[in-house]
Amino acid sequence: MLQVIFKHYPIIKYIFKNTNTYLFWCQSLITMKKDSFEPGDLIQVTTLSEEIKGTFLPSNNKEMLSLKLPSGYNLSIKKSEIKAIKILEKHIPKIEKTTETKIRKELPTIIILHTGGTISSKVSYKTGAVSAQFLPQDIINKFPKLKEIANIESRLISNMFSENIRFHHYNLMAKEIEKEINSKVDGIILTHGTDTLHYTAAALSFILEDLPIPVILVGSQRSSDRPSSDASLNLISSARFIKETDFAGVAICMHQSIEDKNAVILPACKTRKVHTSRRDAFKPINSSPIAIISEKIEFLTKDYSKKENKKLKLKTIKEKLKIGILKAHPNMLSREIENYNSFDALIIEGTGLGHIAVEKIDSESSENEKILNSIKKLSKKMPIIMTSQCIFGRINMDVYSPGRKLQEAGVINNNSDITTETAFIKAAWLLSNHKKEFYELWNKDLRGEINNRLLPEHYLDDTN
Amino acid sequence: MLDYKKLGFMCGLEVHYQLSTRKLFCHCPNLVHDSNSISYKIQRNLMAFEGESGKKDIAAEYEESKNKTFIYEGSNSSSCLVELDESPPFPIDQGALKTSIQVAMLLNMKIVNEVIVMRKIVIDGSNVSGYQRTTLIGRDGFLETSKGKVKIPTLYLEEDAAQKTSKTKDTVTYNLSRLGIPLLEIATSPDLQDPEHAKETAYLIGMVVKSTGKAHRGIGSIRQDVNISIKNHSRIELKGFQDLRSIPKVIDYEILRQLKEKNESSHVRKVEPNLTTSYLRPMPGSSRLYPETDLKTIQISKEFLKTIEIPELLTERALNFEKKYNLPSDHAREIVSENIPFDYYAEKYKIEPKIIANLLIEAPKEISSRFIIKKQLKQKDFEFVFDNLENKKISREAAFEVLKDISLDIKPNLLKYQTISLGELEAFIKDLVEKNKGVSISGLMGDVMKRYRGSVDGKSAMELLKKYVR
Repeated sequence: MLQVIFKHYPIIKYIFKNTNTYLFWCQSLITMKKDSFEPGDLIQVTTLSEEIKGTFLPSNNKEMLSLKLPSGYNLSIKKSEIKAIKILEKHIPKIEKTTETKIRKELPTIIILHTGGTISSKVSYKTGAVSAQFLPQDIINKFPKLKEIANIESRLISNMFSENIRFHHYNLMAKEIEKEINSKVDGIILTHGTDTLHYTAAALSFILEDLPIPVILVGSQRSSDRPSSDASLNLISSARFIKETDFAGVAICMHQSIEDKNAVILPACKTRKVHTSRRDAFKPINSSPIAIISEKIEFLTKDYSKKENKKLKLKTIKEKLKIGILKAHPNMLSREIENYNSFDALIIEGTGLGHIAVEKIDSESSENEKILNSIKKLSKKMPIIMTSQCIFGRINMDVYSPGRKLQEAGVINNNSDITTETAFIKAAWLLSNHKKEFYELWNKDLRGEINNRLLPEHYLDDTN
Repeated sequence: MLDYKKLGFMCGLEVHYQLSTRKLFCHCPNLVHDSNSISYKIQRNLMAFEGESGKKDIAAEYEESKNKTFIYEGSNSSSCLVELDESPPFPIDQGALKTSIQVAMLLNMKIVNEVIVMRKIVIDGSNVSGYQRTTLIGRDGFLETSKGKVKIPTLYLEEDAAQKTSKTKDTVTYNLSRLGIPLLEIATSPDLQDPEHAKETAYLIGMVVKSTGKAHRGIGSIRQDVNISIKNHSRIELKGFQDLRSIPKVIDYEILRQLKEKNESSHVRKVEPNLTTSYLRPMPGSSRLYPETDLKTIQISKEFLKTIEIPELLTERALNFEKKYNLPSDHAREIVSENIPFDYYAEKYKIEPKIIANLLIEAPKEISSRFIIKKQLKQKDFEFVFDNLENKKISREAAFEVLKDISLDIKPNLLKYQTISLGELEAFIKDLVEKNKGVSISGLMGDVMKRYRGSVDGKSAMELLKKYVR
């Protein structure tokens, strides 16, 4: 090896531009194998102009070496300017102490199942890396109030950003929940990334039929490594809700407003993320919250499923199903519909009361007629379900002629107020479990996904 | 007089300068003290989590132990969802970044290769998120002072905190308008030799920052912290100097206080208006930073650095003024540091530049120290005075009186200040001296000024008095 390097010295020198860096890399090649430094090690870097001490960090930039200075700031050093590196102190990873928490018989048992996302993330202050945490002790250390409410258990079932979730993961979560119910927990908190949390809430509502205990989905919009995280209020409120009420079934627990005051329990099938970043991003759609949690817990409805002696039936979703969602927009092409030819169902998120361009109004709009024909063809193969991109309100395809044409073409879901996301889940679930009765069950309210009486208050609060 | 060498005096500065660009991580304007009405109030709590050392940070824990609820008041004119920690930050403001690099260059620093924004945990509520965003821009610089080089190890660009407006037993209320304003933090090594040296260094750093033309002005735009220690005593940080002129006095008082204290541990003290200090909080721990995961790292390439011009130092500009117009050095420095358009007037009027500088700098100060001002002096007011001065319609003394009248919103009567002939003055003084035999010169001078203030030149009056009083 050395011989090779010396033989090609002029060329290598040219490549490395100057001798010092060349010698450094030669040295590194020799020394790194037996004595390489790893993230967390305290090292001393000698550059062309100075000596810098710091903790070695992993870096995304190949040309830079990243150091955490004694001041706590991170510094990037150009590798091409480094002459030598000396390890001052090897990093010895801390062994996490697992202390047994005493079980208090007078308290209920709640298990926190983690699926990743912002709420269960933990930053390594040493390396800056973000990882998931799920040890019961970690959770209790972080949110000590939890152990006054219940005996807390905690475990990770999968670790992902929620946008990566597939049908498989709904089934996985449901099976893990079933296991916990069999081992007699009093309630389950499922921590979840917020992006698709409302899809999961709907999916679990359908899959977990006759759920005898509460399963509360909790997310956070500010990661729990931040002092200002919303995770604390959301987790503690959900634990209190499980302990102090007779609610059974799936629900969501998040902030009611941008203040750290009240949390809100939201219906699993009638909620949507409507803000990219606010901590009160989740709002009930065409519905009211189930309960508000402040110092006390106040139910806003009496119409919720209660803890009874029910026998859980697991009705999973077929993982190979292909369900599409298509958003109607101006200047649509019939090809956009035809793309779904091989699918099992299509949700069209229409405009207004439930429309998509299907009428030729002049010589420039004949494409619209093609769209109608494509829908007609497609609806012979699969259910085509109309929802509205208005988000709030009900579908009515009787008011205007395009709506009537769409119904004639086989589009369903007239007069329904189901959300696009819940419609997507319901379609997959019905095709998996009740394919023959699909059209009959579609219009039936199975899990609180349909509200036939919209009240003025079932809309955005105009004070916000 | 204290013997600083004997005391083992060690002193370093940490100077904070607000920049006048938009806020550092959002598009809100820099209003600092937003006088618009409060649009909303929101309530929050903060929690301290494990720090880098695996322990909760001492200072952080101390704050948490207070178990406070924080109330934030915001105006729609000066804060948005970013300040409320309800929306992720925008990329760092390019103007503020550029200014910080200019300052680092002027301080002979090494500029970082990558701008890595860090989160510094601060859980006293002054940062809604519970951390301050801060980034290292320059390292390893120095500043020339009259007592040699002072090392400047670090320059950070960070966001300013919200301002505390009130507190109760369980709550602390903050106003959000200041939160997010760009702040330069410049630290010196503990090389400062005595309190006067500390003052000089703070002044020089200020001149460097102001040279960029992007230093924010007004109350609270500059904040100096002074770290001091003397032999056998712990290091103490003094916070909250507004006026750098008070630095030497505060340090002396603090040394005297420390000499009386024994076994005191390191902590932070607040400077009170009477220049004494009071306990503020324990010294923050060192391990309280981790990367801001919401922001990308910014590469600082050589090409980018080449596009940044190095501004002319105000100290150099001041020196040029001093030489060119034969000004006293303190006036020259004040002209550049306060951005007074002296050269405009000096080029326009055939008046001795010293007199122009004196009227521009000293007159407004003296008027405001003696009277309650009703109107700020504007360019047209100075032009009015300089026009009359140039045409010899009023005397130098009268110029001051006219400016005073304008400040007090009184229409100046120029006739009153019309210059009188030396003959007329001599006649008056002769008569005055005869009528008041035995009265001292200074007493008589008072009478002369009472009659002719603004119309005569004091020096000639004094000479005439000396002539007749025997």
